[in-house]
Amino acid sequence: MKGNTTVKLIAFAIWALLLFAPFFFQEVRQVEVAARIAVFIVLVASYDLLIGYTGIVSFAHTMFFGFGAYGVAIAMKQLDNTWGYWIVGALAGVLVAIVIAILIGLLSLRVKAIFFAMITLATATVALVLASQLSTFTGGEDGITYSVPDVFKPATKLLTDDEGKVLKIAGVRMNGKIAAYYFVFASCALMFWVLLRIVGSPLGTVLKAIRENEARAEGIGYRVVAYRTAVFVIAAIAAALAGAIYATWLKYTGPETTLSFAIMIDILLMVVIGGMGTIWGAVIGATLMVLAQYYLRDLMEVAADATASIPLLPELLSPDRWLLWLGIIFILLVYFFPAGIAGTIIQRRAAK
Amino acid sequence: MTHPSLSTRDLTIRFGGHTAVNAVTCDFRPGELTVIVGPNGAGKTTYFNMISGQLTPSEGTVMKDGVDLTRMPASARARHGVGRAFQLTNLFPRLSVLENIRLAVQAQAGEGKRFFTPVAKLTELGSRAERYLAATKLEDKADLPAAALPHGDQRKLEVALLMAMEPDIYMFDEPTAGMSLDHAPDVLDLIAEIKHDTSKTVLLVEHKMDVVRQLADRIIVLHNGELIADGDPGEVMSSQVVRDVYLGNAGEMA
Repeated sequence: MKGNTTVKLIAFAIWALLLFAPFFFQEVRQVEVAARIAVFIVLVASYDLLIGYTGIVSFAHTMFFGFGAYGVAIAMKQLDNTWGYWIVGALAGVLVAIVIAILIGLLSLRVKAIFFAMITLATATVALVLASQLSTFTGGEDGITYSVPDVFKPATKLLTDDEGKVLKIAGVRMNGKIAAYYFVFASCALMFWVLLRIVGSPLGTVLKAIRENEARAEGIGYRVVAYRTAVFVIAAIAAALAGAIYATWLKYTGPETTLSFAIMIDILLMVVIGGMGTIWGAVIGATLMVLAQYYLRDLMEVAADATASIPLLPELLSPDRWLLWLGIIFILLVYFFPAGIAGTIIQRRAAK
Repeated sequence: MTHPSLSTRDLTIRFGGHTAVNAVTCDFRPGELTVIVGPNGAGKTTYFNMISGQLTPSEGTVMKDGVDLTRMPASARARHGVGRAFQLTNLFPRLSVLENIRLAVQAQAGEGKRFFTPVAKLTELGSRAERYLAATKLEDKADLPAAALPHGDQRKLEVALLMAMEPDIYMFDEPTAGMSLDHAPDVLDLIAEIKHDTSKTVLLVEHKMDVVRQLADRIIVLHNGELIADGDPGEVMSSQVVRDVYLGNAGEMA
């Protein structure tokens, strides 16, 4: 089996699990995790388009994510929780993302990679400060809690049985929560597919050419600055849409859930774990990282209890130290999968 | 004589106080292969860089078929039909041989902006890429990353990229540098073939005198950034100036 096929199979299996997540995992927290994975796959895949395919280092990806989320949040809160305003909010977020991306792109994609990274960092910091300062609009540090379109309310009955009660399929209530989950799933799957198409298109090949040898790409006739700006804008649109979707799912938007640099670091780690320049790796990276964030603590608690009679070990395995263990796992992953999980599988199979 | 396809007028570039190329005025015509010779540091590659757009001249102009290219970026010059192969192998190392060629084909066809059609569906581009793959005898290496090719094959791929751009002006910078004797003829045959097409203008920087003799219709000599001889190969090679330059005692005449 070719390495590429193995990676695709793993990624498909993850998508299939996500598709049936509400049926397999009926706890609220588990569905929460599934939705987060779907959103982060899009975020990570779009970021990989920049860092892995084109070789652009940006720290502004969460800013674009935030634009989409705040667009929906502000529209839902200040206007009304209808689909009409949802579209207005999401489009406004995307539009702001496009304008800022074009400005950053044209002003600074000519400069060296390190300066570009600094400029994105500065812009993202400004956005974060603005979000906390303009509190009448953004709710400041507390963020905004709001209602979303009625179809996503838990009380909404999507399907009813003969008595007019919510129909259950395989033990799952067909209510607004299911609608919200499948809204997240379908939008994220659609966006991931679009990103796949971009990577496999002539444009995708040009992006890789720019990464490999910018001067030669220019030499055979590609206007590198234009292509880099275009891909920066595409990634910004994807991130903003992911933000709009995540805001709809959470019914809350704040600096912590969208704009913070902690999320930017998460995205970077997910890209590295999955494998830079392998868009399928985004699925693997996002899944592993989100699972670790949600379940490593639980797992350690179990381990600490199981080793309670042994000295020292329970101390080390205490759930409070989960970040330490996350760090260790990350170092091990980088050591054993230097090109990321997907990247390394592809390389090893190719080498055989 | 046919109208020149490419002309440089007083082309000059200075780096700080050093004038690397000084007021080179020269016309190049379709159907003609011009070899540019000169000792190391004469400014041959710098002159090439100003024509293909890697450098912008300090003074002077570069015209191609009446279009002023002087201030254009390299990508725009490529789209205007100026194609260049590089002295040091300059490929897309981790992309496959076929992908390398397809990138050039795709640039020539102006299809790089398509972002939603799978590459495999653009069969026209694919078959054109296959053609250049076959022309350079790299078929059985199509799926290897360019970096995995032996040096000689990388040089051939370099030529394949240039051919795939389908330019009007072909610029080769020491195409056989570092090649083994059994590979060099392949590349030279390709250049000879291009030369047969009378609508194409070929510029070639070359040191090896047997290559020069085999291909040149015309020779120009650069020395210390200046054009010191221009003409028929036999005439130029036997001239006193060129002998002096190559024997190293040209200090006074420059």
